[in-house]
Amino acid sequence: MAEDYFSFTGKLFDRKEIFQKPEALKGIRVLDLSHMIFGPTAARFLGQYGAEVIKVEVPYQGDYWRGGTYWGKYWKHSNPLWHFINHSKYFVAIDVKKPKGKELILKLAQTADVVIENFTSGTVEAWGIGYSQVSKINPKVIYASLSTYGQSGPFRFFPGWDLLAQGASGVLSITGYPETEKYFKVPDFFGDFFPGYFAAMLMLIALNYREKTGEGQYLDICQAEILMRSLFHFTHLEATGEELGRTGNIDPTMAPSGIFKTKDGKFLSLAIATDKQFRSFSKAIERPDWAQDEKYAKAFSRLKPENARKLHDEVAEWINLKEVREVLALGRKYGFAVSEVMDDVQISEDEWRRERGSVVSFEDEMYKKLVMEGPIAMLSKTPGRIKWLTRPLGYHNRYALKKLLALSEAEIKELEKERVVGYWDYRVGQRPPVYYDIRKDPVFNYEGGDNH
Amino acid sequence: MQKKGAAKQISAWSQFLSQMSASPDKPEALADMVVLDLSYANFSGTVAASFLAEAGAEVIKIEPQEGDPARIMTPFGANVKGVGIPFLMESRNKRHLALQLDEPEGRENLKRLAARADILIETYAPGEMDSWGIGYRQLRELNPGLVYVAISPYGHYTARAREFANTPWTDLTSQAESGLTALIGDLPDTPDPYNWPTRAGFYAAGYTTAVGAASAALVASFFKRRTGEGQMVDLASADAYASCVGFPPTIGSIWKKPRLRYGTLDYGLCPYGFFKCQDGYIAIACFRDQDFRAALKILGRWKLEEDWKSLLDRITDDIDKVKELNTEVEKAVAPYTYKEIAEKFSEYSVKAARSKWRGGGLPVTTKMLTPKEVLEQDHWQVRKTFVKVNHPVFGLVTLPVTGKMSKTPLRVKWISANIGEDNEYIYTKYGLQGKSP
Repeated sequence: MAEDYFSFTGKLFDRKEIFQKPEALKGIRVLDLSHMIFGPTAARFLGQYGAEVIKVEVPYQGDYWRGGTYWGKYWKHSNPLWHFINHSKYFVAIDVKKPKGKELILKLAQTADVVIENFTSGTVEAWGIGYSQVSKINPKVIYASLSTYGQSGPFRFFPGWDLLAQGASGVLSITGYPETEKYFKVPDFFGDFFPGYFAAMLMLIALNYREKTGEGQYLDICQAEILMRSLFHFTHLEATGEELGRTGNIDPTMAPSGIFKTKDGKFLSLAIATDKQFRSFSKAIERPDWAQDEKYAKAFSRLKPENARKLHDEVAEWINLKEVREVLALGRKYGFAVSEVMDDVQISEDEWRRERGSVVSFEDEMYKKLVMEGPIAMLSKTPGRIKWLTRPLGYHNRYALKKLLALSEAEIKELEKERVVGYWDYRVGQRPPVYYDIRKDPVFNYEGGDNH
Repeated sequence: MQKKGAAKQISAWSQFLSQMSASPDKPEALADMVVLDLSYANFSGTVAASFLAEAGAEVIKIEPQEGDPARIMTPFGANVKGVGIPFLMESRNKRHLALQLDEPEGRENLKRLAARADILIETYAPGEMDSWGIGYRQLRELNPGLVYVAISPYGHYTARAREFANTPWTDLTSQAESGLTALIGDLPDTPDPYNWPTRAGFYAAGYTTAVGAASAALVASFFKRRTGEGQMVDLASADAYASCVGFPPTIGSIWKKPRLRYGTLDYGLCPYGFFKCQDGYIAIACFRDQDFRAALKILGRWKLEEDWKSLLDRITDDIDKVKELNTEVEKAVAPYTYKEIAEKFSEYSVKAARSKWRGGGLPVTTKMLTPKEVLEQDHWQVRKTFVKVNHPVFGLVTLPVTGKMSKTPLRVKWISANIGEDNEYIYTKYGLQGKSP
């Protein structure tokens, strides 16, 4: 008899073997000139699957997100929300405004497979490190410029970020309750992270093309456009002449659907996607008549606002008399989608996520234990992994300049003196944790050789 | 001299940018790839396949004769000739093949296709394809280079994956389970249900999983190009939001308490949001102190400066304190039109940027637009963000498209959505056996 399927997959994705398996993007060097979230997230995505990411920051200032956080709370003198965006990268601090700094960045770009930047459009060209300059010394480079409005079009010089992209793309206008004056944004800078993943996808398309043809290219990656790509509202509007607006907790593509309160005061989300699921659900809710009712039996009719509303209200009443576990058990028995509304703590402690590896407790040499997200996709032969958390500003200067550009200790000292390369100042987010003795760190004081 | 050089450089660069648009003459990045899209009642799979199709792969959408139920998931039942709007929007550059996987002949034909394919995407219950003899375990024997992408609510391994294998996919439950809905909604002191967890008004979880799936498939394809080896890729839609933004697990673990819903306020700083003005909603978002000072000057509220000087004052850990500042900004913005504020902001920014003294701040803003207003913007027309395709059955269809790559831009070549309309083409091209259904 064949092996049980889940025992087969359990071995296929065995988390104990991750560090023995190869990395898909090994040998790909990414020069990450970007800052905040959108660009760094794209670089991190590639780094997670094995690319070597060199993150370049401004000396004595660093990426602004080093000092950002929520509710003003820091962790070991760092922003806890900065670590998972920039893990496993190499941190160098070079001043692009100094001629020698620009030269160093160009030398790094010459060796890179991918270059990523997210300054206001035209900035890197003006600094002399844009695609038109880098492609002259590295014609095979894949150079990605990320911005809110793109590199062309009348808005191209407007700076922007998550919030503005959500407003400009239509995303903001569709979340909330129709009878109110409040429009809720998608939180946690989703407008940076989601386009960041999308940007990584475009770079991977370019990498696959280059592997086949040897050709590099330039990518104009536009944040607001990527958000628009995920909305069916434009197609709907042009096909029907009507705006969908806000629909509160109801997903207008599924009926019944919504977020409901249970007898024990918890919140459940429930959505019925197909006619088959609906037939099964009508048994679970003990309304077999629904499946026979021509108003409800077929999706196109069931989804009409008046019908969907009626079903929604009856489901709300039903769930209000049930406890969470009862409804979840019925969902499993009858095969319909229902799940608890999970909050931060539930997600961080969820056993399934730990077992799966989508939430991991990572043990770092400098920062020790941090609970953080794992990869969004699990690959059986080349799994994504976390190698180290972030490092102080300029931590890998010696490592990168000696190893990649073959600079000598004396040359680096000279660059330090001229403040072409630099380190952290006192500010939180840039410096090492106070308990950490940086003088004894072999990477920070890298002398040569192949360790790390 | 330097200026003259700069002008030349700018003109060359603009010239380059003007040639970025998609054109039929440009090559397609993934033209050498064959993708089988078996997604069933799961939009993430459908969308992941669309991205690969836009990049030039031959994508074969495989569904039973009665059709993929994703066809009927559509807002308020809106459809064009029986095809739902979201499905129509994602029916880009795909071939449509009807195949009965519940019959031996259909499975044999699937094997013939899988032997030639680079990527297979499936969203059936974990173990189902395997029980039909066409799962990763069997197909890898036929085609060791196959990248097999599976998408399901809890993935294909772990105890929970087994226990809840029959749970169907929906965007709403994925949003809720991955931590998104818990964070959207009004403040605790507002009436029910406005303070309840709230849905993000689009397939936020569905598209996130789709991008993750397509990206991971491309990571695996890259590895295959170098080693010849395929593999299995597994995504869980209950991971979608938390595995994209990453905040929930770290915050839950370090701060030991969940964030509550924060209305239109922001967890990071204040003011950071959209405020009601005379003719709509306008973004006021001050990250650095100098940006905040600039906004106060422009809005005539300089007297507030003393109490809210530094970023630390404007961090939102004390909700009552922050509501105070937020209300002040609301009042300051209310009397103006969007244009009035935007012009003041832009005038100030230009002056500050030209000033030698760079402490002036660069206040930037934008207006909240509805999808209808977005479609009317010149900017997106110049960028050709929306393409209109005229189809003999579906009529004129408007589609958002992005992915400007200088050599291999993403593009929409055609739309098609009729079940099995390419059966003959696929049967002939890939040597399928038996009668085409």
